[in-house]
Amino acid sequence: MTEKILARASGRAWVRAGDEVEARPDFVISYDFPGYTDVFFREARDEFGVDKVAKPERFVLFIDHMVPAAAPKEEELHRNTRAWGAAQGVPVHERKGIGHQVSAELGYATPGAFLVHFDGHVSQLGAFGAYAFGARKGVLEAFVSETMALSVPPTVKIVLTGTLQPGVMARDVFHHLVRVLGPSSCAFKAVELSGPVIDAMSVEGRQTVCGQAMFLGATTMLIAPDAKTMAWLEGRRRLAIEPVFPDPDAVYERVVTIDLSDLEPIVVVPPSPANTQDLKDHLGLAVTTGYLGSCASGRLEDLRVAAEVLRGRQVKPGFQLHVVPTSQAIMAQAAREGLIETLVESGAFVSSPTCDYCYGRIATMADGDRAVSTGTLNTPGRMGSVDSEIYICNAAVVAASAIEGRIADPRPYLGGSA
Amino acid sequence: MSLPNLRGRVAWVFEEDDFDIDLIVGVRNIKITDLDELVKVAMADRAPGFAATVQRGDLLVGGRNFGYGHPHYPAMRAMRHLGIAGVVAESFSPGFFRGEISMGFPLVTCPGIVAAVQRGDALEVDWSAAQVRVPSRGRTLALQPLAAAERGTLEAGGLIPYLKARLARSQGASA
Repeated sequence: MTEKILARASGRAWVRAGDEVEARPDFVISYDFPGYTDVFFREARDEFGVDKVAKPERFVLFIDHMVPAAAPKEEELHRNTRAWGAAQGVPVHERKGIGHQVSAELGYATPGAFLVHFDGHVSQLGAFGAYAFGARKGVLEAFVSETMALSVPPTVKIVLTGTLQPGVMARDVFHHLVRVLGPSSCAFKAVELSGPVIDAMSVEGRQTVCGQAMFLGATTMLIAPDAKTMAWLEGRRRLAIEPVFPDPDAVYERVVTIDLSDLEPIVVVPPSPANTQDLKDHLGLAVTTGYLGSCASGRLEDLRVAAEVLRGRQVKPGFQLHVVPTSQAIMAQAAREGLIETLVESGAFVSSPTCDYCYGRIATMADGDRAVSTGTLNTPGRMGSVDSEIYICNAAVVAASAIEGRIADPRPYLGGSA
Repeated sequence: MSLPNLRGRVAWVFEEDDFDIDLIVGVRNIKITDLDELVKVAMADRAPGFAATVQRGDLLVGGRNFGYGHPHYPAMRAMRHLGIAGVVAESFSPGFFRGEISMGFPLVTCPGIVAAVQRGDALEVDWSAAQVRVPSRGRTLALQPLAAAERGTLEAGGLIPYLKARLARSQGASA
């Protein structure tokens, strides 16, 4: 799939792993953040004399960090982003949710598309069959040139077999892959995911898995579009390009088959995202705060399972449970389903979509705090004090732990469907 | 143009795999932008007085998947300010690799390097021979060659001069 997408994007009939190509991104996606977009805007103009980006319809900006602003300089950054977008003819979407999710909702995640961002979590758009690559500061190239130089990565095919047990979610699947394969197992490679577990998984779950590709070292992670994908995308796709599918005789650097029937819920223990362990070995550890949200989790299935766990129950007094739906569209649907009501009545603090909880800009943890979190990362200081700890887990575990004030198994709270 | 060889002493060996480079300055300090301030906190937890031991051109040595996590730029900015000329590691985390190459900072992938050297050894990175040499130990290791765009970026001294040269060439070709 990767070779087909990058062949089209570089105007070639075919490419092979290792080829160095100049590929034209179908969309250049960014959120405004100091040191990134403000620098790209300035460098494009001052260093390259680019007053107008080529084909502004290929660009999109999101304002999802520092929302709402808590300092004048944050609002100034947003103001400059809006002004740049207006001057360039580039759309700026703000207060609609976390950009990686809103990108999907607004149809930038067209199957077969080549997408670039500076942030690697854009890989979640691979759930829709796009090649979505986080180039860090290298994305400057896309602001000053229509193409980007890159090497076609080899592909690792991961086939997930079996059936997930109740209480096991997409988050568990991804972190289990890191445990089984290792955090650098897919370094500089693309990952193609398939198998019965993926077939049965919701589009949301696939976004969750693909969005964390960087923690396997992968350039991105892709799933071939199926009927579920195409139904989700109905009326959204922005590009009329042919979806791509893997050839039956596609060449993979490695094919790994992993059976997930025995997988149980996991926790990723600080201080590293490489540190996947079984939930059952950490039950009972006291926790002070819980975060259910982020670009990785915080979608409807996460909110539904949390509401199921918390319905008719109460968050333990003193425990801070923050629930942040990933987008406004998700929040509105959660409200229609009564999930927001259930969560609020249980004592959860429910906020509008923002990236800010994930990196401790708000709900900042103090020394000695310990969180259960569906955020992306558990390195020290990620959500506040460097002397606080983050245990990454699925949404059901966050909800169950909020009731007990300690790391808890959600399965006794679930009616058999998670 | 060819890449100049790197010659320097091993200023430090990060033996651990999946090393999170933010720990070099400490996560609490990653928002510091002033280089003199960053240099004061760099390696403070691991090797107090580290700055005084570094000579211009010295190199860091790292384990597998060096730069894992969400690497931020201050750690290597501080190291460059101290005179560190590059990192030789068993392997690099891709995000870190791309970010630092775009800064024009040489990263050398060299399997076997951690076991081959100790702090203080002289190292030579010979790009054209694709070798890392440790003369005092009589060791020669193979390095993994860079892709053309990565090599071009290092030769130019960073992403901005590289892109300027590349765009000038393509405009020249189409004119």
